Amino acid sequence: MPIYDQGYRRYEARGPLRTLRFWPITREALRLVLSRRAFLGLLAVGWLPFVVRVIQIYIVTRFPEAGRVLPVDGRLFGEYLNTQIGLALFLTIFGGAGLIANDLRTGAILVYLSRPLTRRDYVLGKLSVLLALNASVTLVPALLLYGIGLALAPEQYMTWSLWWIGPAIVLHATLICVSISLLSLAVSSLTKSARIAGLGFFGLFVGLEMARGVLRNIFDVRGATLLSIQADLRGIGSALFGVTPSRFDLVDWPAAALVLLLVAAGCLLLLRSRVRAVEIVR
Amino acid sequence: MSGAIEFVRASRWYGPVIALNDVTVTVGPGVTGLLGPNGAGKSTFLKLAAGQLAPSQGEVRLLGKPAWGSPEIFHRAGLCPEADAFWDNLSGFEFLMALLRLTGYGEAECRQRTEAALEQVDLMAARHRRVGGYSKGMRQRVKLAQALAHDPEVLLLDEPLSGMDPVNRRRIVDLVKRLAKAGRTVLVSSHILHEVEAMTRRVLLINNGRILAEGDVREIRDLMDQHPHTVSVRARDPRAIARAVVDHDHVLSLSFGAEGSWLTVQTARPDEFYGALLEIAESAGLEEMFAPDEDLGSVFHYLVPR
Repeated sequence: MPIYDQGYRRYEARGPLRTLRFWPITREALRLVLSRRAFLGLLAVGWLPFVVRVIQIYIVTRFPEAGRVLPVDGRLFGEYLNTQIGLALFLTIFGGAGLIANDLRTGAILVYLSRPLTRRDYVLGKLSVLLALNASVTLVPALLLYGIGLALAPEQYMTWSLWWIGPAIVLHATLICVSISLLSLAVSSLTKSARIAGLGFFGLFVGLEMARGVLRNIFDVRGATLLSIQADLRGIGSALFGVTPSRFDLVDWPAAALVLLLVAAGCLLLLRSRVRAVEIVR
Repeated sequence: MSGAIEFVRASRWYGPVIALNDVTVTVGPGVTGLLGPNGAGKSTFLKLAAGQLAPSQGEVRLLGKPAWGSPEIFHRAGLCPEADAFWDNLSGFEFLMALLRLTGYGEAECRQRTEAALEQVDLMAARHRRVGGYSKGMRQRVKLAQALAHDPEVLLLDEPLSGMDPVNRRRIVDLVKRLAKAGRTVLVSSHILHEVEAMTRRVLLINNGRILAEGDVREIRDLMDQHPHTVSVRARDPRAIARAVVDHDHVLSLSFGAEGSWLTVQTARPDEFYGALLEIAESAGLEEMFAPDEDLGSVFHYLVPR
């Protein structure tokens, strides 16, 4: 019978990372996403509206009378962020549809969760990828735009009447990033196919927007605007930045915020039940 | 002394299906083989031990802590799953690096450990190829490398030799033995008796979700030897073999296959039969031989009372 050494020996295995345990997941996924040229192209397209807005601010600072037609107050940032919602949607589909779906397909989720990571760390790692991607076309350019505004027209932006623009940008961009990212991740956890996840996410966004359009514009159902996540985000943005929405986009912002809160809670519950190392088939 | 892996009245069921039923067992240092036919509950046992599943009832402890919900212990445990579990678009090197980063190592140490682990499983030459293009045996080895790379105290290997060629099989068997000799706890699941026998003599027999027996693999052999043992041989002249063994009292029956080149013998003492076979093998032109009873299903057929 073999006799095994039962004595103490020092193993070299490390303790788990105490903080930012999710970071290696985010880093690896970002590296893979950003290595795709098509994705970088899409990211570049996402910055075109930024260039347009910079030109707008520049023109208004040079020719102040143009400000009557192209205002550069809070409305500029509200409209800019509302435009970016669509771009964030495409960026999320290309960069995030497979984030969980691919791990479920390949079984890699098992090796992730056999490391010193919790399921929460795993979700946070994947969510951070989408938050970073979405922030790169919403929060970052919007703050940069604000900075350019401050630099080009300090006398206009450094007044007490416009101090709120910075915090409003952070609030609205965060809302856009978190809502889109959570929803995309939840859809990705429902399937093992990145393609189906992408189509599902697109269908959810566009389908609900179309349903809103039909119900609101044809049947004049007022509450229908709440159905669309895009419209809810736009509605809150419009309320924050003082943008006058069209009659069909009119939405009660507290109700829109409640809808987004419920959607986020639903996504978290879904992720909690779907992110498992072992698929349990009943 | 408590073992690295402890099951205390642990059960796991999936809806109405019981995968593991009231199991109490302790696994300590060295290699322990988890033997059972397909569907016996081996993978569920390993997943419970690896903290990938919560027990429906009872307790499963790994290194003294509840296996489920204690991810901090996973830096001391390595799991080699049965099914493929990697990102196809990464190379073997990148795959291991990514997993070591998750375990908390810095870049330089990740690189050094990755290379050491790939070296151990003989994949250094293929380290920059995409895992998606690896053969079944190479995939198996890269899975093993990721389980070893962080130098864990406990290794849980689910069918680790599946799909490997004989040379690499030998290499992995030696590696597992070395790891065990260094004091690690290695639990290896398999449905092939001789695979486990090559690594260890200590086995847990599992069937229908229950631990059926625990102990030395030779005891299973002894149990098997108390029952008729079937051996099939293919030879140029099978009747010569039949003539040579028919007088032995341990031979219980003889039958010839339809093609005429196969002879199936039932013997009560396989060792004596193999001795007699060796004497006649050359003159009878022995070409092929297999013992259907080596199949673990037959072992359980003997062991499980009906």
